[in-house]
Amino acid sequence: VLALFTEEQAYLRDVVGDLARKIGIQNRNDLDTADRERGWSEIRSMGLLGLRAREGGRPVASGVEATIAAEALAGRLVPQPYLGVALLPSELLALAGAPADLQTAVSSGEQRACILMATELGAPSAPPHAKAVAWDCEGAELALGIEAASGTVSRHAINTFEPLDAADLTRTVAAVTTGPIQDSWTIAPGDLERWHAFALVVVSADIVGAMRGALAGAVDYTKERVQFGAPVGSFQAVQHLCSDAHVQIEGAASALRYAAWAVDVLDGGEALLAARTAKALAAGAARDVGETVMQVYGGIGQTWEQIAHVFLRRQMLSSQVLGGASAQLRAIADARLGAA
Amino acid sequence: MDYRDTSEEAAFRSEARAWFASNIPAGWRDVADPAGWRAFTRRWHQTLFTAGYVGMSWPVEHGGQGRSAIYDAILGEEAARVDAPPLPARINYLGRAIWTHGNDEQRRRFLPPLLKGDHVWCQGFSEPEAGSDLASLRTRAVLEGDEWVVNGQKMWTSGAESSDWCFLLVRTDPDAPKHKGITALLTPMDVPGIEVRPIHLANGDPETAEMFLDDVRIPVDQMLGAPGQGWAIAMTTLAYERGPGDAAVIPKIQGALSRLEAAARDRGLLGENEVREALARAYTKIEALRLVVVEQLSRRVAGRPPGEEGSVAKMLWIDAEQSLHQLALDVVGPDVWLGRADDWLSQYLWSRAASVYGGTVQVQKNVVAQRVLGMPRG
Repeated sequence: VLALFTEEQAYLRDVVGDLARKIGIQNRNDLDTADRERGWSEIRSMGLLGLRAREGGRPVASGVEATIAAEALAGRLVPQPYLGVALLPSELLALAGAPADLQTAVSSGEQRACILMATELGAPSAPPHAKAVAWDCEGAELALGIEAASGTVSRHAINTFEPLDAADLTRTVAAVTTGPIQDSWTIAPGDLERWHAFALVVVSADIVGAMRGALAGAVDYTKERVQFGAPVGSFQAVQHLCSDAHVQIEGAASALRYAAWAVDVLDGGEALLAARTAKALAAGAARDVGETVMQVYGGIGQTWEQIAHVFLRRQMLSSQVLGGASAQLRAIADARLGAA
Repeated sequence: MDYRDTSEEAAFRSEARAWFASNIPAGWRDVADPAGWRAFTRRWHQTLFTAGYVGMSWPVEHGGQGRSAIYDAILGEEAARVDAPPLPARINYLGRAIWTHGNDEQRRRFLPPLLKGDHVWCQGFSEPEAGSDLASLRTRAVLEGDEWVVNGQKMWTSGAESSDWCFLLVRTDPDAPKHKGITALLTPMDVPGIEVRPIHLANGDPETAEMFLDDVRIPVDQMLGAPGQGWAIAMTTLAYERGPGDAAVIPKIQGALSRLEAAARDRGLLGENEVREALARAYTKIEALRLVVVEQLSRRVAGRPPGEEGSVAKMLWIDAEQSLHQLALDVVGPDVWLGRADDWLSQYLWSRAASVYGGTVQVQKNVVAQRVLGMPRG
């Protein structure tokens, strides 16, 4: 047992953290002014899109590295669709054994694919996708559907793409209609579980990263903001709010690192249980932490111009992707106690 | 990064599993009276020692095996798997205090009987007026010739009635700043002037004790470190050995969850979504605790001393244990209150103490805020 990042992993965390500081959203106004294409090409040129590309049948980087990247980007509210159009589809295409040129096109960022989900974002959508939604799908050029029962992954052209007025201001969520199946591949049940585990893990990393970034900003603020002649961070009531949030984040983060490791090592069912555990903890903390952050900023934290609600919105919407805390807990109960 | 046992760890685990399978003393849970329990724990300690399962993580030169802390955790897991009697966890921090701060003579005198289980120790730290504010302790020691003469009162001295020795913190310099005037003394429990009275906790069990010291004479060669170093000695060693990774806390909570799942099944409640979600939530909380502790143990193995992040683990421990026993009250329902499931009531009441002993949850939150998050002191 040695549950520590390697030196390379710690380095990756720092490097992606630096990039995120450069291209992320510091103030709400940045959402209107950020140069999205430049940020995308920076992520692309760092090689982050292809972390889950396959070389000789094996992922270029482990689930741990993918998680490190996703968490670091979310910590600065990076708005580029790193998960939705890069990591999630490239992992799915690889596990389904899609043609190499398509895999390469998606994992290199040449083509943007999105995963179709059912209306509530709780599960992937199977064709014919009458009411499908795609998450984190800015600029998507093709769509992928999953029919779990038959173990089929299908490729579709996008017919209509209507961005929704979704809660997360940093990401595009769209109602999508598609053409018929253009191509399809069979995915083994264990591989579908593995994709599901991977997807839950990187989405959990998004939540954990955003929670960390939000709390760090709020804690910094408590050291500067003076009331009653003292920094508000010196008051125990404020300290205890922040401690509770920190501990919730740390618990979720440790469960996340284990689940990220499990993606490549444990069998599909065990990896999925670990991923659901991480997602249940992250999603279960998301609202509490977001509310704490808004509270700690006081009046300014309630305003449109302040960043707190942007974090909260991202944490809350990511929590819904592939099922919120309750859905994960019910699935964990099924796995541990047998179906109801 | 690897969460699996190394091949050496796996070999150790299967060896320990086989050993426990044939060495659990039959009927150990039925030992009721204090004298019988005292004799039993001593035999159990000696059995474990003979088998090589005590002091595994101690340095070889002090009688240990120089193994990493991971081995203690594996042993705790395997013991819990088969409902073995408690492992002698307290010896680890006492040992560390003695080999780190004691002189050669003290090491020779105290470490071997501590390891073998010939001497059972208790810890005289807290006092009626020094709980969370431990450094304000007032038990006084005055030097007379080559003896310290101690007067005062200790509280929450768990195991005092069945111990041979006590690791005492006393005030030797009332004029020094409060953290600097404390000294660590070691005393046998059977000397004149020590009186122990049991404290019964809310569940009715005599879980702990108070201890009165009246002109207790302690030779200076039983002082650990120098006068005034007591606080630093206690804090640095406690940081190592009182986390949830050291006391087999996690396997114990996992076992309680298994029993609760079985209770829910017996009562036909596993069809209810609310119960299913609550049991799953309890599982995720234990996993969060387990995985935070695995990382902290790994950092220790990598040579980084434990620090304030111990408070994070303690807070997760408190939440996992207390919320599980709250849930048990709901699941087991009226039986708890009508005397038909006494054990769950007792465990629930005992779980309330988790947010008090070893530092209240409020103190843990202060530590996280000030020393982990760097928020200003009030």
